[in-house]
Order: sequence, then structure tokens, then C-alpha cells
Amino acid sequence: MKLLRRKKAAYEPPAVLLTDLAFNLVIFFVVCASSDPEANRRAESGRRQDIPSSSKDQAKMAEEAKNIEVHLERDTTHVEINGLRTPLERFTEKLTPLLAGKTRPEERMVVVRSNKDVPYQHWIRMTGMIEKAGGVVALQVEEEKEVIVK
Amino acid sequence: MKIRRCKLEPGVPAVAMADIAFNLVLFFIILAKTQDDSAEVEAQKKLKWEAAHVAAVQDLPKTLITVTVTQENKVFLNAREIPRKELTEKDLSEEIAKLLGDKPAGKRTVQLKIHKDAPADIFEKVIEAVSQAGGEVVHVLAEDKN
Repeated sequence: MKLLRRKKAAYEPPAVLLTDLAFNLVIFFVVCASSDPEANRRAESGRRQDIPSSSKDQAKMAEEAKNIEVHLERDTTHVEINGLRTPLERFTEKLTPLLAGKTRPEERMVVVRSNKDVPYQHWIRMTGMIEKAGGVVALQVEEEKEVIVK
Repeated sequence: MKIRRCKLEPGVPAVAMADIAFNLVLFFIILAKTQDDSAEVEAQKKLKWEAAHVAAVQDLPKTLITVTVTQENKVFLNAREIPRKELTEKDLSEEIAKLLGDKPAGKRTVQLKIHKDAPADIFEKVIEAVSQAGGEVVHVLAEDKN
């Protein structure tokens, strides 16, 4: 009698492990996809603004280049350009020729000086107009100094 | 012939242990992340401010640093109030610089949510501080539809 050899069973990993594996993979990819911490935040709209830091060197450079100075007051109908009181509707018309021919960013710098009570709404509108005319907005912030009175 | 019964020893499957541990780690990571972020986002939503209106706006990139100036002229850095005493360009810029770390240009944006009537006395200090910290200023504004 010929005895048939029992076939060798091929090694098969248990099928239960596969579901575990798949589940872990799914979780891993879900975490990866949502790991961006900014994802929760709502996209906003607005405006980018490049404002050079008002370091001493830059202030000196601005002074040397004789930059245009715009002075804002609480009165939103008028603005001062290089000390000249100008109605708001003529602001762009007056500013554009002053920037004409200036190519370097240092030359195109417009120093904005605001009174303490100027509202943000007015300031953002004016700086927007300056940028649209080709100017680079630079702030002139007054330093606060503590003075002890004896 | 006596056939012996094969005795199976009870044991915990070691393969599953790794799976369980991995799942637990992932679970706690997700939990920690969502708690941190949502608390801050919720706190920021409670701050009262109204955006200034301008003629044209553009979509802004999402940022991790937000400075808010509220209706009451209070300044908040990522929903944490900065007391008026500490509101100097130097102190504020140091705090912002810490948060910005050594992120490359383009990833250093700081969102400014300034109330439309906030005075220059306050918002200029904020803008100056962001600028000194090497941040890229981004104003959150509303479009004027008139």
C-alpha cells in the first residue's frame, strides 16, 4: 500500500490580524491628515503689509533719503503731506508725483506719523492708499519716556 | 493505546498588545491636540472686536499667532491678555519673537485683529512690536461692499 504524504500546509497568517492592521493604518493616515494645527482655524480675509522695523539705522537712512512724511489726525477729511494740509480726496493725486522716479525701496518710504487718537479705520485706509500709489509704509512711533518730577 | 489529550495553555496573544499600545498612543495624541487648539480658538471667538472696512481684501494665510485689540482697547496675544503696563514694543516683540522661534520667512505671519476704532496710541505699538520681532504683518479686514 502506498501511503500518500500529507501535503505540507502553507503558512498563512491569521486573518484576524489583517483587520487590526487595516484599522491601524486607517487611524494613522487620519491622524497624519489632521495633524496640521492650523487646520482648525478659519481662513480670514484682509491685507498683508510690509512694514520695515523702525530701527535707528533705518530712521537715519530715511532721514538721509528725505522721505515723504504723512501726518494723520483724528480729522479724517484732511491729511498732511510734508506739512501741507491736503483734502483726503486729493491725497493720491498729490502723493503719486512725489514718488515718481523713485525706484529704490528706501526712496519710496513714506513715513506715517499719527496722532494718538487716530482711529485704525482711518489709518488702514490711508496706508492702503500709500501702498497703492507705490509707497512703502514706515511708522514713526514716539518713544514713551518716564519723567520723574521732584 | 492511550491517546493523550493535548493541553492548551491559556495565554495572552502578544501580537495584539502592540496594536493596543499603538492605538492608545494615537488616541492620546489626538486628544491632546484637539484640546489645546480648540480652547484657544474658542477664547479668541469670545473677544469683541469689529474689523475695519476697506475697498479690497484678499484671502489670508492661516497663522498660529494672532494679536487682537478689542473694543475696550485691550490687547490679547493668542487670546492671552497683555496688561497695559507690559504693553511696550520691547516686551510685546520679545513675546512674539519667542512664539515665532526660528521659523523661515513666509511662515512668520502674525495676524492682527484690530478693532476699527482702536487709537493709534495702541495699534501702532502692536504693529511696531510685530515688525521688531521679525514677523510679517497681516491685517484682518472686512470688504466694504458700498
